[in-house]
Formats: sequence, structure tokens, C-alpha cells
Amino acid sequence: MNLSDAGEARIRGYLFMLETSLKTFLKRDVVADAVREVESHIRERVGETEPMPNERDALNRLLDALGPPHRLARAYSAEFAVDEAVSSGRFVAAARAIFALASITTEGFAVAVALLCGYLLSLGCLFVALMKPIFPHNVGVRWVNGEFRGAGWEVFLEPGTTVTHGWWLMGICAVVGSILLWITHRGARRYLRRVGERRLRRMETVPA
Amino acid sequence: MTYSTDSWTEQMRRGGLELAILLAVAPGPRYGLEIIRHLQELTDLVVTEGTIYPILGRLARDGSLKAEWQAAAAHPRKYYRLTAPGRRRLDAMVEDWRGFAAKIDRLVQAAGQERV
Repeated sequence: MNLSDAGEARIRGYLFMLETSLKTFLKRDVVADAVREVESHIRERVGETEPMPNERDALNRLLDALGPPHRLARAYSAEFAVDEAVSSGRFVAAARAIFALASITTEGFAVAVALLCGYLLSLGCLFVALMKPIFPHNVGVRWVNGEFRGAGWEVFLEPGTTVTHGWWLMGICAVVGSILLWITHRGARRYLRRVGERRLRRMETVPA
Repeated sequence: MTYSTDSWTEQMRRGGLELAILLAVAPGPRYGLEIIRHLQELTDLVVTEGTIYPILGRLARDGSLKAEWQAAAAHPRKYYRLTAPGRRRLDAMVEDWRGFAAKIDRLVQAAGQERV
């Protein structure tokens, strides 16, 4: 079947939607390869289809058999993003996979929020620990005229402020921050591994 | 609890698809659509054609398959062939499948005898 301009536009539209959805989560080379493979599939299916009076219906049937682009993209994204995160263990890959899952499942969203809190809290602690050697008088437990005002790092100290236990706080923040970061990242990887195992069982045949 | 035949069949289909794909490329390299046609010819495992591609991608990433683009007459095709680890995995999966099917067969026969 030779396609009209409208038919070509329909295919390009499908591939564009697929590419756009995939780009959100996957590396460029993976996206390009996936889109190229799906385009090859479509072109071959079009080639073997007998010319029909209603080209639009024929194309719709062909693309329906392939599945909607967003669903195909979702299957690709979840599969690849989770795989990459589990195999590499890298923070960026894990973050990408978590983001992918957060946007498609409620469970993923809840886990992403929890992990975000864990990462922010741990990085906050490490940041305070890192600031102590740079600003030795601004990190510690703050007292104003004997009254407790807080603990951590404060850039501008109000007059009469006394900062105590700075090095203790640095040590505690470094230890707590490291442990929290380790637990959070380990939790993220464990969650992704579990999702990966679940997907092995579930994602193969998603009905359109 | 409601028993759903569709759900049960779907679970079986899901479980068998990865094995089916590996079996489809076992005789020699095949590209995606060729695998789909082969599976559609012999089975009803492929519900949505597009879902084959992420699985092929995963099998290629985990080293069970080797993917290679080849220029065809009209457009390029991505061929998949079984690697040595992939063949070992396939052998193990076939063995597991046969063992599992034999056990269920025994149970079916036993149930049939008991009923008679």
C-alpha cells in the first residue's frame, strides 16, 4: 500500500508521540533505536497491506495492533529505566527510573515522595557537616542570651549569639547524613529491583 | 473470590511469552516483525504487537540476545539472534517448562481417574 501525505503524517505523528514520550525517561540513543525499530515495523506492515479504499481505516488497524504510542512508551520506559538503575546502581539512573514510576503509578509516586524526603534530609545533614570547616563559627547549637535558638548552619548570626558544640554537630550530621543517604539509596535500589522483577512477570503482554 | 478465566489465561500468556520469543529466534536470527508473525502463526501469545519490542530490548540488554541492524531492500531491520548465555537460559527454561507441564499433566490425569 502506498501512503498518501495524510497517511505519512499519521505515521509520523505516531512516531513523534512515541519519541516524545520515550525522551522523558530514556537516553537519546535508546530512544532513537526504539523509534527506528518501531518505524521499521510500521513500514513493513504498510508494505504488505493491500491497497484499500479507506487508507485511514487500514492505518488505524495497523497502529492499533501495535498499541497506542503512550502505552508502548510506558512499557519501554519502565522496562529500560528500571533495568539501567538496577544494573548500574547510579544515582542519576535511579532518579530517572523513580521519576518514570512516579508518573505512572500511585505506589511509585508515594515511594518517590518518601525517597525525595530521605535524600533531601541526608544531603541537608551532609551539607551542614561540610559547612563547619568552611564557616567554623556559624555551625553548631545556637544560643542567644542563654536561650536555645536552633542547631545547624546559620549565615547571619544575630548579636549576642553563642554557637556551641559545632564540631560535635558536624560529626553527628556527617554520620547521620551518610547513614540516611545509604539507607535511602539502598531503599531506592531495592524498590527498583522489586519493580523490575514484577515487570518481568507483568509487562510482557499489556492489552491495548 | 471470583474466578476469572481471562485473568488466568493472561497470566499463562505473560509467563510464556519470553520463552516463546527465545524459541522463535533459536533456529536463527529473526527481526521483530518476523518474530511476531511466527508467534501469531503458531500461538495466540501476542496480544499487542508493540509489547514484543521492549521484551526484545530487555533480552538484548541482559545478554540473552544479540541485536544487529541490517539494511534490507526497503528499510533497515533489527535482527536478533540467540547468544551462548541465551541458549543456556533457553535450555533451562525449556527443561523447567517440560517439568512443570509434566507435573500438571500428572495432576490432570489423576483428577480424571479419580472422577471416573
